[in-house]
Amino acid sequence: MAIIRVPRPPRDTNVFAAAWGYTTTICTGLTLTLTIFFRQLLKREKSETVEWPEQPATYGERFKGKHFLTKREDGQVRCTACFLCATACPAQCIHIEAGQHPSNEIEKFPVRFEIDILRCVFCGYCEEACPVDAIRLGPEYAIVDTSEKKWVYTKDYLADRPALQGGIHSIKPENEKHTSIGHEPTAGERKSQAHHGHS
Amino acid sequence: MADTVTFRLNDKNVTVPKGWTVMQAAKQEKVDIPHFCWHPGLSVAGVCRFCMVHVQGARKLEIACNLQATEGMVVRTDTPEVKEAHKWGLEFHLINHPLDCPVCDQAGECGLQDFYMEVGKYPSQMTRPKVLKPKAVDLGPRLILDTERCILCSRCVRFEEEVTKTNALGIFDRGDRAIIGTYGEEKIAHNYQENLVDICPVGAFTSKKFRFKQRVWFLQEKSTICPGCSTGCKIQVHARTDRRTYYRVKPQTDEAVNGFWMCDKGRDTITHLNRESRLPQAQMMIEGKKQTVPVPQALNSLQRAIAAAGAQHTALLVSAHYTVEEYQAFFDYFCTQLGVKTIYQWRGDKEDRDAFDGILWRGDENPNTAGLLASLSQIQGRKVEARNELVACVAQDPKVLIALCPEVPFTSTWFQGDLAKLEGISHVSLWTCRYEATEAAGITSWIPMKGFAEKTGHFLNYQGAKRELEEAFPSAAASALSVVEAVQQLALPQPSVTL
Repeated sequence: MAIIRVPRPPRDTNVFAAAWGYTTTICTGLTLTLTIFFRQLLKREKSETVEWPEQPATYGERFKGKHFLTKREDGQVRCTACFLCATACPAQCIHIEAGQHPSNEIEKFPVRFEIDILRCVFCGYCEEACPVDAIRLGPEYAIVDTSEKKWVYTKDYLADRPALQGGIHSIKPENEKHTSIGHEPTAGERKSQAHHGHS
Repeated sequence: MADTVTFRLNDKNVTVPKGWTVMQAAKQEKVDIPHFCWHPGLSVAGVCRFCMVHVQGARKLEIACNLQATEGMVVRTDTPEVKEAHKWGLEFHLINHPLDCPVCDQAGECGLQDFYMEVGKYPSQMTRPKVLKPKAVDLGPRLILDTERCILCSRCVRFEEEVTKTNALGIFDRGDRAIIGTYGEEKIAHNYQENLVDICPVGAFTSKKFRFKQRVWFLQEKSTICPGCSTGCKIQVHARTDRRTYYRVKPQTDEAVNGFWMCDKGRDTITHLNRESRLPQAQMMIEGKKQTVPVPQALNSLQRAIAAAGAQHTALLVSAHYTVEEYQAFFDYFCTQLGVKTIYQWRGDKEDRDAFDGILWRGDENPNTAGLLASLSQIQGRKVEARNELVACVAQDPKVLIALCPEVPFTSTWFQGDLAKLEGISHVSLWTCRYEATEAAGITSWIPMKGFAEKTGHFLNYQGAKRELEEAFPSAAASALSVVEAVQQLALPQPSVTL
């Protein structure tokens, strides 16, 4: 291995000139910070800071917080135990045990559905992988608990915790098994729908 | 060169025996021709119209499964017309397919999924609602049939006709309402049901035992030999090593022994390997109480007992569920090295050992009887077959007995009963993988053994043919040993400080 000698660039001897760039930028930034600070202090501008947890702070519905399981019309969980979320999960924190549902219409359902929230990285892949909109990440972000056991969310907790107020319905139709998927209405059907005023 | 033909398959000259089809030749040359209805173990039906190939000079595409290779034929499997035919063929199969892959056990190993990714990838053009058919039909103690998923390839019908000769299945109705089914309310009852699940290229037949248990893409596979009987079918065990759980058994192709099939009894040979039915650690009776001990301690106490009693008062009780290599190591140590002269063969009281069901299953349900007898023939000593003579064995009063226990529970139902007869011997060391063995009274120590899927080696089947247990899973019981490993530990010089 040969060593190639590269000439150093000449050192800038004027320290003030060299530091000028930094100094100006820092001053600009500080001016902005202080301006906003004083404007909010003098109530000229609304502050985004809230005194959490005394004041509630809510995130939008698209926030990737605590998971929940959606439900069918009749209140059962929508999940079909296809294991796609567990497959996609990079943290391998979803544990599903599938079983035969008494009703042949549903066939497969999760007997157990558990998320080890301590392992979860809140990437949202489970939500993306789900073919039936059965699992979503909600806006709840404050996750506090005492014992390790409570950090493993069970099926009941994921579908029925008080914050969900009785559960959230899946947007995917429940009889997807028995209709043609990707069914485009024919020209005749489209016409009759337009005639009846619902598209 | 009268009995071979040479033809051209995708720019390559291929020579095959006369009478072979293009499909067989392609299989041999590892050229993929997508197909559903053709199966190497069944007759040619030619119903799926999927294995289309282009033959020079032919007016239209031909199906490879029913096209005999002839001298000078020029076949291509990759022309645009062939690809177009595959695409339309697949769309035709999917017209009434319910696409319930999320709840279908076949997902991950489904012909429709595989070929869609390989030759399909088109948006569906179907605008009519799908035809609905009966779902989750109970068709037997091990089978569930979903007629909506079926693509009517007729493999199962031909299997019933040609392999089991029971003719239980048929295709009923016509057109898009055609369904697979049995006659009336009849159920399939033979011992080869799960082969229907294996040969079904889609998820129409699913296994009741495996249904919803696990998605197939989580499973790891290892090839080994079925320990269920002396036929020695080549099988593949599917398990999840991270959960230490065995899920299912599938047959592997071995023309000489099992062809493409295996029996349903063989499919159950993995249940005893799962963690909950395993002896996890060595146990010993210490001052009248059963205690879990490290394996070396149990082996040391056995060694001391042999040393105290002497080889002439030591006996071996050997079942035929272990590999040839294990018997070799076992007899080398106990008979050649220590000089034990009394060996009991422990093969059960079954009278119908020569029974044969005409397909695969044999009455001798010990996988390595031939191997045990071959190993025994090489050593000197009194070799008794301990049928009802276990009591006599106790009467002979060996002071130490080392028992290599049978492994598969349902083929050795006599095991528990025989254990009760061993009471009265001062030191009985049971080498077993079964937890239930710890309930027996009169036993001194229990050494945890590895199951058949956890070790490599050989069985000798009923013909004396070598059957290789090729690959091994890590053991589901943490401290389990194979007989070879246990004997190696025994042969080590004794530590001066007892554990």
